Amino acid sequence: MLEVRDLRVHFPVERGWLGQPRHWVRAVDGVSFAVRSAETVGLVGESGCGKTTVGRAVVRLVEPTAGRILFEGRETVGFRGGEMRAYRRQVQMIFQDPYASLDPRMTVADIVGEGLDIHGLAPERGARARRVAGLLEAVGLDPALGQRYPHEFSGGQRQRIGMARALAVEPKLIVCDEPVSALDVSVQAQVINLMQDLQRERGMAYLFIAHDLALVEHVSCQLLVMYLGRLVEAGPTRAVCGGPRHPYTRALLSAVPVVDPESKRQRLVLAGEVPSPIHPPPGCAFHPRCPWAEGRCRVEAPAMRELVAGHWAACHLA
Amino acid sequence: MAPKPLLEIRDLELEFGRGRDAVRVLDGVGLRLGAGETLGLVGESGSGKTLTALAIARLVPCPPGRFVGGTVMLEGVDVLRMTGAELRRIRGGVVSYVFQEPGAALNPVLRIGVQIREALRLHRPEAATEAEVVRLLRLVGMPAPEERLRGYAHELSGGMQQRVLIAMALASQPRLLVADEPTTALDVTIQAQIIELLRELKERLGMAILLITHNFGIVGDLADRVAVMYAGQMVESAPTRSLLRAPRHPYTRALLESVPRLGGGGDRLVAIPGSVPRLGAFPAGCRFHPRCPVARAECARQAPALMEVEPGRWSRCPYHEGDARGA
Repeated sequence: MLEVRDLRVHFPVERGWLGQPRHWVRAVDGVSFAVRSAETVGLVGESGCGKTTVGRAVVRLVEPTAGRILFEGRETVGFRGGEMRAYRRQVQMIFQDPYASLDPRMTVADIVGEGLDIHGLAPERGARARRVAGLLEAVGLDPALGQRYPHEFSGGQRQRIGMARALAVEPKLIVCDEPVSALDVSVQAQVINLMQDLQRERGMAYLFIAHDLALVEHVSCQLLVMYLGRLVEAGPTRAVCGGPRHPYTRALLSAVPVVDPESKRQRLVLAGEVPSPIHPPPGCAFHPRCPWAEGRCRVEAPAMRELVAGHWAACHLA
Repeated sequence: MAPKPLLEIRDLELEFGRGRDAVRVLDGVGLRLGAGETLGLVGESGSGKTLTALAIARLVPCPPGRFVGGTVMLEGVDVLRMTGAELRRIRGGVVSYVFQEPGAALNPVLRIGVQIREALRLHRPEAATEAEVVRLLRLVGMPAPEERLRGYAHELSGGMQQRVLIAMALASQPRLLVADEPTTALDVTIQAQIIELLRELKERLGMAILLITHNFGIVGDLADRVAVMYAGQMVESAPTRSLLRAPRHPYTRALLESVPRLGGGGDRLVAIPGSVPRLGAFPAGCRFHPRCPVARAECARQAPALMEVEPGRWSRCPYHEGDARGA
C-alpha cells in the first residue's frame, strides 16, 4: 500500500553569509520500506536517528529532499492542493505529546469533527454530530463529553481524542509517533489495546514509531531498525527480535532492562554514543561503537542485503 | 540478614497547603535501607516517590509543604528535627542526589571541573584538587577527564552530563545515593551504560542506593529490595526477586502484567482501567479500589493497613494472593 524508496530528508544548518547552507543534517539518508494494508510496521531507534522525520515525511509534514513515496502505486511527492488533501485523508498521524497536539481553544467535538469539515464528509449538522459521537464512543469516551475542552481530560483520554481525530476521515494508514511514551505506565496498555482493537475492526495499517523495543515488538509484525538516518535491519518482528543480525539491533535488544530476575542474558553494553548526523563517520556509521568492526567497516558503507527471505541487514559481517 | 538501618522512614505524613485546602501528598510512608543496600522505589507520576526521596534530606520546600507526622531517621538522627547546620552536614555529607534531567542540574556557565571542585570544597576541602576531580571523572567512566574538566555542560551529551552529576554526588563520599529516575531522559543504549556504572559503583564503594524509577526492568537489574508506591502510600515492599516473581498487591501485579516484555509474544496486554488519581482526590477506602480487578465492597469503605504478609514482605491488601485470585 505504502512504498518508500530511498527517502532522503536533509536539513540545512549553519548558513553562510549569503544565506546558503554550509552543512546539512542528513536526518534521513536513503531509507526504503513498505507497509501493507492492515499491518503494523514498527520503526525503532534512538533519539536523533531520524525515525520521527521518516514519519513526518510520510504524512508530508516535511518535504523529502529526494526519494519516492508511493501510496497505492501513485507517486505522492509533488502533490499539491486537492491531491494533497485527498492523500492526507488516507494517511493520518497521532503525535507523541497529547498535551501539545490538541488545540486548547477547541471543544473535543470540534477537534474530532474538523477533519470531517475539511473533507466535506458530513456536511449536514445532525450527521456530523452523530459521526463525532460514534467516534468518541469508538475510542472509549463518553460522547456527552464532546462539548468539553482538552484541558479537562487526562493524558490517556487526550490520546484517545487524538485517535478519534485521526479515525474521523477513515484513513488507510496512521503514522503513530511515540503514541504512549508521554502517558503513565498504568495507562499505556489501555491505549495500546485500543489501537489494536480499532485496527482489527477497521483494518487500517500503522507505522508505529517508538524507542521502546519491547512495546514495538508487541504491536508490530514487521520491524525496521534505524541508526543515524539509515535502516540497519528490517524484517519480520519475530525474526529480527529472535535472531538479530546487525550488531546495533543486538545491542538495542540487550539494553532493554528485563524484569525477570532469573534471566541470564549475555549483556552487550555499547561504548560511546550516537555520532552527529552532520558529520557521520565514514564507512559503516555504526563502526565506532561496534565491538566486531573490521578494517572494511571503516571505509566501505554496507548496503542492505537480504540474508533470509524478508530479513535484511546492513552489515558486512552479517 | 537485616543490616543496621542507615535510613528508616516511619509513618511519614506530608501536606501541602493549610486548613481546609490542605492536600495530603504522603500518607504513612515507611521504608528501611541498610548500609550498602539498594532499594528500588517504584511508582507512577504523582505517587509521591520523589517527595519521599526529597524528605530524606528535608529538601521539600516548607512552606507550602508541611511534615505533619512521622520520622525520617538518617544514621539514627531524625532529619525532621535537625538544625540548619546539621542539615548542611548531611546534605551531600551523608546523602547525595542525582536527578532525571542532567541538563537542568548543571550550571551552564561554569566549567565542569569547577562545579565538581565546588562539591569537594564544601565537604572535603582537603581534597579539592584537580587530581581528585580527574579521579572522580575517571571513576564515572568519563573519557579524557583531563580535557573534559575544562569543558562546559552543553558540550556533553545527556549520558555524559549524567556521569558528571554522579561524579559530583560522589565527591562528598556519601553513604546514600538517591538516584531519581537517573536514566529516564536517556536513550536505551546510554541507559544501559549508566545502569552498569551504578552497579559498578555500588560494588566498589559499598554505598547504599535509593533508586527511584517507574521501570521494573531497571529495578530487577539493580535493586536488592523494592518498595511500590501508589497515590501517596506504600502499597508493597519485598525482596526484588520475590516481588517480581510473585507480586502480592493487586496494583503491583497489574502494573507488571500491563508492560509488554521482550519475547512476550503478541498477546493482548492486561490493561489497568481508569487513570492515576490526582493529588488530593484520592478515593476513600483502598486508594486503588476503583481500578482493582479483585476489589470487593469492603474495599471502598475500609482503608487497608500495610501488613507483613510473610517475613520481609509487606502488602497493603488484606486479600493477598490466594484470596485475591479466588475473588
